[in-house]
Amino acid sequence: MKIKEIVNNIFSYTPPINYKFILPDNSDTENSNNIQTKGNIPEKKENIFASLDVNLDYIKMKYNLLINSDIITREFILNARGKQHKALLLYIDGMVDSQSLNDFVLQPLMMRNKNNLFDGDQNRIISEAVSNNITVRKVKKFDLADYIESCLIPQNNIEKTNSFDEIFSGVNSGNCALFVDTLNIAFNIDIKGFKQRNIDKPQNEIVIKGPHEAFVENIRTNTSLLRRFSNNEDLVIESLEVGTMTKTKCAVCYMQNIANNDLIAEIKYRINNLDVDSILSIGQLEQLISDNNSLGLPRAISTERPDNAVQHILEGRVVVLLNGSPFALILPAIMIDFLTSPEDRNLKTIFSNFLRAIRILAAFFALLLPGLYVSVTSFHIEILPTELLYSILAARESVPFPVIFEILIMEISFEIIREASLRVPSPIGTTIGIVGGLVVGQAAVSAGIVSPILIIIVAITALSSFAIPDYTFSFHLRVFRFLFVFLGYAAGFLGIGIGLFVYLSIICDMESFGVSYSVPYSTMENLKSTGIVLPPIWKREYRSAYLATKKSQKQKDISMKWKFQ
Amino acid sequence: MVKQKISTISAIMLTLSIVVSYITSSLPRTFINESKSAAILNIVYITAIVLFIILLFCKLLKKFPGLDLLDISNFLGGNILKNIVGGFFIFYFILSSSLMLRNFCEGLSVVYYPLTSYVFVILMFIIALAISNRLGFISTLNTASIIFPLVLISAILLFCGNLDNFSFRRIYPILGDGFYNTFILGLKNIGSFGGICYLYFLPPMLKEPEKLKKIAIISVICTGAFILLCVATLLFMFSFFITTNEVMPLFSAARYIEFGSFFQRFESIFLLIWIISFCCYLSISCKFATHIFSKMFNLSDMKPLLTIFTILILGISLLPKNYAVSSSFETDFYRYLRIAIGYILGMLILILANLKKKKVGEKN
Amino acid sequence: MRKINNIFYKIFILILIIIFIYSFSASYTSLNLDNLAFVVALGIDKSTSNKLKVTFQFIKPTPSSEGGSQTKPVLTSVECSSITNGINIMNAYLGKKVNLSHCKLIIFSEEIAKDGISDEIYSLINEVQIRPSANIIISKCNTKYYIENSVPSLESLIPKYYNIFPHSSEYTGYTCDATIGDFFNALVCNSCAPYAMLGGISSFNEDSSSNPESLNDSTIKSNESLVTGNRLSQNIGVAVFKNDKLAGELNAIETICFLNIRKQVDSFLVSIPDPENSNSKIDIYLTPNSTHNISVNIVNGTPYIKIKFDFSGKIYSMTKGSEYLNTDVLDSISTTCNKYLKEQFTNYLYKTATTFDSDINGFGVYSLSQFKTSTEFDDYNWLVNYKNSTFDVDINTVMDSGFLLTQT
Repeated sequence: MKIKEIVNNIFSYTPPINYKFILPDNSDTENSNNIQTKGNIPEKKENIFASLDVNLDYIKMKYNLLINSDIITREFILNARGKQHKALLLYIDGMVDSQSLNDFVLQPLMMRNKNNLFDGDQNRIISEAVSNNITVRKVKKFDLADYIESCLIPQNNIEKTNSFDEIFSGVNSGNCALFVDTLNIAFNIDIKGFKQRNIDKPQNEIVIKGPHEAFVENIRTNTSLLRRFSNNEDLVIESLEVGTMTKTKCAVCYMQNIANNDLIAEIKYRINNLDVDSILSIGQLEQLISDNNSLGLPRAISTERPDNAVQHILEGRVVVLLNGSPFALILPAIMIDFLTSPEDRNLKTIFSNFLRAIRILAAFFALLLPGLYVSVTSFHIEILPTELLYSILAARESVPFPVIFEILIMEISFEIIREASLRVPSPIGTTIGIVGGLVVGQAAVSAGIVSPILIIIVAITALSSFAIPDYTFSFHLRVFRFLFVFLGYAAGFLGIGIGLFVYLSIICDMESFGVSYSVPYSTMENLKSTGIVLPPIWKREYRSAYLATKKSQKQKDISMKWKFQ
Repeated sequence: MVKQKISTISAIMLTLSIVVSYITSSLPRTFINESKSAAILNIVYITAIVLFIILLFCKLLKKFPGLDLLDISNFLGGNILKNIVGGFFIFYFILSSSLMLRNFCEGLSVVYYPLTSYVFVILMFIIALAISNRLGFISTLNTASIIFPLVLISAILLFCGNLDNFSFRRIYPILGDGFYNTFILGLKNIGSFGGICYLYFLPPMLKEPEKLKKIAIISVICTGAFILLCVATLLFMFSFFITTNEVMPLFSAARYIEFGSFFQRFESIFLLIWIISFCCYLSISCKFATHIFSKMFNLSDMKPLLTIFTILILGISLLPKNYAVSSSFETDFYRYLRIAIGYILGMLILILANLKKKKVGEKN
Repeated sequence: MRKINNIFYKIFILILIIIFIYSFSASYTSLNLDNLAFVVALGIDKSTSNKLKVTFQFIKPTPSSEGGSQTKPVLTSVECSSITNGINIMNAYLGKKVNLSHCKLIIFSEEIAKDGISDEIYSLINEVQIRPSANIIISKCNTKYYIENSVPSLESLIPKYYNIFPHSSEYTGYTCDATIGDFFNALVCNSCAPYAMLGGISSFNEDSSSNPESLNDSTIKSNESLVTGNRLSQNIGVAVFKNDKLAGELNAIETICFLNIRKQVDSFLVSIPDPENSNSKIDIYLTPNSTHNISVNIVNGTPYIKIKFDFSGKIYSMTKGSEYLNTDVLDSISTTCNKYLKEQFTNYLYKTATTFDSDINGFGVYSLSQFKTSTEFDDYNWLVNYKNSTFDVDINTVMDSGFLLTQT
């Protein structure tokens, strides 16, 4: 019986369980109706209603109050001249100064304020006429709005308005709005108090021309940064909790009228279905929600610049923030995203394309250069020009090791130097890097352990891996270059060809949240504005087709109307 | 079963990647051997004939939208005919890919690995095939879409880099070996357009099945242009003796390219690109064979079959005793096999199915 | 049970990797860069008793820290029955494996060339490592002597000289860039004949076969010129082959004619007799225009070859009292030049047809358009009928002025 079991188990076959989520190729296909869609609201200008309840309903609809977690409405009873009215405050948490809100808006308006008492003698008399012992007084009619504005709220900047647009733009920028029952105007109170960023430049993504702000650890500050840059009420920031013990706050941010509903649902589904005790950093979260981790390639862009994150939100992607991590995850991500830097949008296109070509070349070198060197010197010597061959031979005269051993020694030493320079305290950190590299290399050459040509090869490889904008991607290249070195050593160009084929196949097979990883280059369809070369900014009229956005056009055909009309 | 649909451009790349595998080993040799200096005329003539056949094929297929050859043979003769036709095509795919592999590896072994037995070179390809079999069908197509433009660039580079060595007068005498040899006997060269065998199975896999005609025409024209470029390179450069008697004539042509004294002997880089595209061809062939098999027997998952077919390819490629046997197979027998299975069998099935449908339609 | 499957799978992969590294190991331990000796030039002589004497020239690489000292190339010879055997013996002698992938020169001696070199050529082309762009030289003296005297004079490495010197054919026309690939191509082709460079040693140190004073500058060949210097080997002229046997040699002016017909020269210098003073000569720098016209017709079974060349020339040598802006003077120089060149071309062409009976000019390729099928061409047997050809040469030179001076 046992033998039968063993045989069965060896030769049996169970099909693997594949979890597969695919986004449609473009936005013309049918969308699913999982979440409430915004619907088609006619964009006419609405004025404020007189009834507070109607106002509240309108705000609920406009601001998606049921799912938005940082838009706060505070209902209270307003006490004015002895009469009580229902009132409502609308503000965004994190963007207003809470202390001022309490002291200078709520307190003067609520019942507790003794200064709000009224004893009737304070009527303003305009004129008085006496006839037949009856005094007729013309009293100025009590204007509640006027009274609140001029007497009750000791705030320096307050505006009365009757249009919802102005109220919303005020609230979006950090003001607080006051609605009162029976009044068809509202007050726009300036009470901004969002935390300004601590003068922190981004540590890892330096950009010459763009803003120099970076995310911080507090999630509310980060969301306020996103709000400030996007400045639009369609930005939805949903709050989720991850980790059964730590219950870390996580925010999923997207544009309601642009991002694909299936994508949003999938991301929230994955985040909500994690059964771990704690998730404390965004790196852990990324590994837990990615499709699979083959080849160690990253499936999501991680950035610490809010302007970068907002650019991607406006393209139709989804940004995930985690409380306690100054990084944002941008999903989905394709391969070419890891070879572009945020600077590309600020530069003119000819320079961005030049830099893009340099980065692709750097990626190629970082992955393949040592392997190609080993295979050429071992199997394909005829490629080298004769003079170069003689320099290599002359340089190798005193070296006792074969080529493969030399390369391994130098590469591993460089990796050790890199890791060491991270641990050394910063005044001597950079020095260690330079000194280590130069001294070790030069000393090794003088001692006759390696040849000078190899130092050049290893140095170019190391510098190329530094030229890659994304940290995880350059890590991946650093590790897999050893595989190509072994393949080149074992079988020359045949080994490297086979390795490249397998590598390319795995990359073409990978998916990141429903989008194929190698998308604009391999399928060559729907290339509107996501081609091989970055088009000039006035030609980027459409959003990327592989994101299947709801609104695919982002610029008109002629965007520079001042020029062509 | 192929779960995802493939796009138009991927389909074109699929049919084109077939031709790369044998253009590097023996195809120019057969053309020049038979038609001598009329090879170019022959190619143009053959492309026109194949185009005509393809148009006929598309017209015959119109009555059966979205069905491939297996479904049509099922309609014609029931399960038995379907199994027979499927068996023939599986036999053809496996045999062609394994013998192609053997020839290519023999060539590689001669050039670069004189001390290694060809078995290990074949084994390397088989390992790559086994790994890529675990991934989906789409990944192979995407890889082919990335690699094939590189192959095209390499062919153009081969042509342009050798322009100094060309003597265009070798195109004379125009009629080569004579009218009869060029046009009548030259008809057997339609066997070089092997892509048609894959076209038979494409319709259910396409995203836009109505574009099949466009796909077929574009792939035939591109294949013809590609073969023309490679044969022209060899015709203008070498005399007939060299082309018909060297192991890998296109590889020899690549050795002559030089720009100054620095860029010389760059044939290894061409070989790198050809190796990758050859792996794509192997993968596609294996997956098609498995797809036919699983369709014949209504299997739901074809993953374990792929391993078996891979081992089968390995076994068959080890069968010929030496290079002479496999080379003679490729030049003599293989073309007729392709004509018989690809053109005659396929077209026969289509024509008979059309007649039957007409009869059935008339009855109703 | 799944775990055990996984473990089996991993062990299987490990075994496979070990097999690979082991199986290809034979290739890379012997092909390791440190174990190879790179041949730069290969010389093949005839030795006694029908054997070959193969000479190899190696370069010993010196570390770059030693500065630019000239490295003397290392020479070894071996007597063997074929080139392959010679390489085999050399491998055993040297210890390092001989590698031909950087071999730039393949030199045959005159004696061997007269007997036929097709076997050696076929074996060399069959070899994977040989570059098709390696130059082939027929040396009038012993190849070993030739290679010994082939030391770098203006360069530090001899391969650099080997790369450069065939290109002098483009601006002097005194030698040709004959490669072994072209040689093989022409050998197996039935419409042209192979050719090679002619090499030799400066006759200053050797017993010269001709009186130096009677030599014309334009009729020099290797082994006869009067150059003295550090390096005694020189390459002037072309060796003409019929099938695989040496049929004859071309001197300098004939080489210029040959290169013009093959369109391989950009500019060259000729000395024509001065029309006004028959004792002196004028040096003219000629550039072929792109309107060369060659046509071949088959008339009554014999080839009738018509050549029409256009040159534009500038006058190099100035004498007292010359005025080169005068159109009459220029016209008379043109006419003299035309006459001179026509005479040289016709002499050269009839020499190839009648004396050598070898179509190194490649006229056979031009005649292909006269035939309808290649069987007709094969039946006609061009190489046999070439000796009955008739040539019609038409030269037209347009004389510009001198270079910087227009009159003296």
